[in-house]
Amino acid sequence: MKFNQLLQRLFGAKQKKEMKADNSEKMQKVMAMLANTQEVELTCDEVFAVLDQFVEMAARGEDVSQLMPLIQQHLDMCEDCREEYKVLEKIVMNAA
Amino acid sequence: MLRKNLHLSLFLAYNFAMNKRTNEEWLADLRAGGDQQAGALEDLRAIILRGLPYAIAGRLNPNSPESEALVEEVVQETLMRVLEYLDTFEGRSQFTTWAHKIAVRAALTELRRVRWREVPLPEMEMNEEGDASYRELPDSQASPEEQVSRAEMMKRVNRIIMEELTDKQRQALMATMEGFPLEEAAQRLGMNRNALYKLMHDARLRLKKRLEKEGLTPQEVLSVFEQSGK
Repeated sequence: MKFNQLLQRLFGAKQKKEMKADNSEKMQKVMAMLANTQEVELTCDEVFAVLDQFVEMAARGEDVSQLMPLIQQHLDMCEDCREEYKVLEKIVMNAA
Repeated sequence: MLRKNLHLSLFLAYNFAMNKRTNEEWLADLRAGGDQQAGALEDLRAIILRGLPYAIAGRLNPNSPESEALVEEVVQETLMRVLEYLDTFEGRSQFTTWAHKIAVRAALTELRRVRWREVPLPEMEMNEEGDASYRELPDSQASPEEQVSRAEMMKRVNRIIMEELTDKQRQALMATMEGFPLEEAAQRLGMNRNALYKLMHDARLRLKKRLEKEGLTPQEVLSVFEQSGK
């Protein structure tokens, strides 16, 4: 596959007039991800293992991004884990 | 049987009156077997049921039969997992938070599956569409110079992606860009979410390092696309 064909797949949209915004948007999304990429990152399993503790600390008002920066970084990076974190946070806040 | 149920009911009422268990009591009761364990499981079930609406909200109509079935399935699965992984609970949070965590993961995994099951993973297929067609795109907000520099940057980044990433990494990147949950993309690619995160982390590092090698930072690339975007 040629570069430009991959580009079409990666950044291309179905309709030309949408393409520009779509291209830009995806490119920005990739670059934002790269900007936030660290040499060492936790995996989803490692984050899951401490998510309950992390949520309770956050619920107590502790500065979790300072105390557990690697967890915070993963949550910024991983939509799935972030989604789970937010739901758990709501449960903990409302059940307390 | 009747006597046993009566006994259980009294036990549950007692526990309800006692409000809640400490972490140690949860562990002891769940390990106890018999009525003691059954009572703890029943209480835990009620607790999980109170949490699940927060997982379902905005994702599924909470009054639909689909939602009811999902709740039942998730509760069953959670209770099984709680018993299975009881020994891994380290007491660093409330036991119930730990149990909610397991329920939330199970619920969202199922909700993602339902939401995405009809959506095919973007394929790496040959595209007959023109070469640099993005070049021709009119963008009223971008100057001709901006359009040219964007087109060139696209081409450059694309070349880097082609050269640095494996097929699987490219496919995963595309899926992510299309909004696929990691969990769903992973399943389609025949791996688990954790492995896919690692694969994507490696891909991101490769791209970042290659950009650096070419004297570019992600911020610089971003700035080319942000100028008149909003």
